[in-house]
Amino acid sequence: MWITLLIAHGLSAFLLLGAITHQAVGVWLPARDRSTHFLNRVRAAPPTSYVNAIIVLFVATMILGGVIYTNYRIAARFTLEQGRFWKTFGAFELKEHIVTIGLGILPAYWYFWRQPLREEYARTRAMLTTVLAFVVWWGFLVGHLANNIRGLGT
Amino acid sequence: MKIVPSVRVFAVTFTAAFSIIYVLAVEYNWALFSYAPATRQFGPLVTPATAGPTMYWYGWMATTAIGAGVIAGLASLVPEGVAKRVWSGWSWVVPIGVLVAFAYLLRGYFMR
Repeated sequence: MWITLLIAHGLSAFLLLGAITHQAVGVWLPARDRSTHFLNRVRAAPPTSYVNAIIVLFVATMILGGVIYTNYRIAARFTLEQGRFWKTFGAFELKEHIVTIGLGILPAYWYFWRQPLREEYARTRAMLTTVLAFVVWWGFLVGHLANNIRGLGT
Repeated sequence: MKIVPSVRVFAVTFTAAFSIIYVLAVEYNWALFSYAPATRQFGPLVTPATAGPTMYWYGWMATTAIGAGVIAGLASLVPEGVAKRVWSGWSWVVPIGVLVAFAYLLRGYFMR
């Protein structure tokens, strides 16, 4: 069961990473022309179209991670301690807090991305997306790193 | 004077309060409940596990969510004139500040 949950958590995180990255790129580097170049197509994605998916995926990923976390505490965490992987250990401790702060950001993120978008909140939207992107990238990379050292089923 | 709950003030206050209460909950261990993963038992407030590690993270989040919800609920009732002056930027400035605070609190792991 743990491996299934871990895979579901990873897949959900992967989708979330794609959505938030697309939105962040669309916010900070919007496409100026409609050329068919790959990078322009990435930049041309409308940032508003990702909002609901990002909120749902963030919550789903966090719930799955929260369930797996119980197993991490009684298994993988000791391996990190005994192996003296302190940087990975610390990064994972930080992940726990960073994703929680990300969860707390969601109400404001939802509100300021509501249609119709108001121009005076453009900076707030951009910054909330950026903070959320940092949260998701940190969570993804650190989770991947910890799993490489002592993943479920290893 | 008519008071209409402001969703904008609720959203901004909730996010800012959530960040601040969470870092305090972690630092002072204000867990609403505890969980022992080895025995799969929950306990009220800070209850050490009878075997294995004790997890407070879920309890910290519960404390934080309730606290932020109450504060944001009350803040959303401010008069319209005050509500308009609440800066939307608090919703990202405070979380960034708290993220930096956590990095500082956990710096020991990265300096070994």
